[in-house]
Amino acid sequence: MNRKKILGVFLAVLTLAVLCAVFFLVPPAEGLDYYVRIAFFHIPMAWVSVLAFLLSAWWGARYLRSRDMRFDRLSARSARLGLIFVLLATASGAVFSKLTWGAYWNWDPRQTTIFVLLLIYGAYLTLRAALGEARLRARASAVYALFSFLTVPFLVFILPRLYFSLHPSPVINGSGSIDMDTSMLLTLLASLADGTLLYAFLMAGGSGRDIRKEESA
Amino acid sequence: MKSSLFHDIRLVFRKEMKSALRFRAAWAAMLMFALTTLACVSLAVQGGGLSPRLLAALYWTVLFFAFMAGIDRVFEAEDSAGTLLALRVYAPADAVLFGKLLYTWLLLLVLAVPLTLAFLLLMDVTVVTPLVLFLLVLLGCWGMAAAGTLVAALGLGASVRGSLAPILLMPLMLPVFLPAIFVTSGAFGAEAASLSFLFGMGLYDAVLTVGASVLFPHLWYAD
Repeated sequence: MNRKKILGVFLAVLTLAVLCAVFFLVPPAEGLDYYVRIAFFHIPMAWVSVLAFLLSAWWGARYLRSRDMRFDRLSARSARLGLIFVLLATASGAVFSKLTWGAYWNWDPRQTTIFVLLLIYGAYLTLRAALGEARLRARASAVYALFSFLTVPFLVFILPRLYFSLHPSPVINGSGSIDMDTSMLLTLLASLADGTLLYAFLMAGGSGRDIRKEESA
Repeated sequence: MKSSLFHDIRLVFRKEMKSALRFRAAWAAMLMFALTTLACVSLAVQGGGLSPRLLAALYWTVLFFAFMAGIDRVFEAEDSAGTLLALRVYAPADAVLFGKLLYTWLLLLVLAVPLTLAFLLLMDVTVVTPLVLFLLVLLGCWGMAAAGTLVAALGLGASVRGSLAPILLMPLMLPVFLPAIFVTSGAFGAEAASLSFLFGMGLYDAVLTVGASVLFPHLWYAD
């Protein structure tokens, strides 16, 4: 069995375990009741969409340094996957928001952050579609991926100071301690690992297909 | 070396100014776009009654989209005349970036003066802290110019250049746009926002400028 198949089997088992934990192990959360189950889907999706953005910029930088088209393919694939994950994070967040705050969207700082990420992914892929020549496309999209990454400190540090947030506290609260039931925390960590492995699995699966697509273009 | 770069920047800036004076349509289009949008908004709300927050949002939205109407022209003169290669050969990347950036900043400031006066007049706005508004316009326009110059270079060779610039620029501009609206609403009479946001805008402008100067040579010189 090759490495990819082993990863696939492990991923399937882990996903099943996380689903069982979410539906049979995790207790209802204070103020959120069983709606908290959405968080075990939403948080990993949001995490992977940020990770994919970071890695897309990283591979963009590697491309600019080496001019190796392999890095451009990785950067583009990461952005495509990132777009899917960010759409899932936005949709699950909107459903959670409707169930707990009564509205699908209210421009909460974290909703704004995810929306900006969605815009960046959309812009990056639009730029790639608008540029025909492969080398020019690789150069321009690497530059845009890195340039748009400059917004991250603002989104993380300044935006939450501008607007009031209804969003539940992060896992690690302001005093530096973890305020969460143990089973809930373990399930969340497992779901984060599951989301990250899913991203790695999808990244590994696409490289050959991307090369064939590029060669036929 | 430094004085040579400064000299090159000045040459590119002068070239842009001469080109702009020769083709005044770009300036006129941006200004008329801003004034027409402003007139439409003022007419729709019958001149007044809006909260300072909404007024601030309208002000920056009009300024941003007026800029969008002209941003793709930053490299258009060379692209349409077929002189991009000559500029690539004779001018260093930093000189091109900063020469065009300074020109775009000046263009935006020139655009902002009549737009601000018309806005205050038509929307019946009183500016409580004019110095804060002045600093905001300086910083906001610099951010738009820095990001806009790089984005205009990204669009070179694109099949849909006109509509590409706003799509690429909007996510990059939100860190300028949102604090600017927040502080402008204070300048228009709402509860005064902390001036640390001005510092934050200045810092983000500096990050954009450094980022653009690091990344621009990768775009400017082909493989």
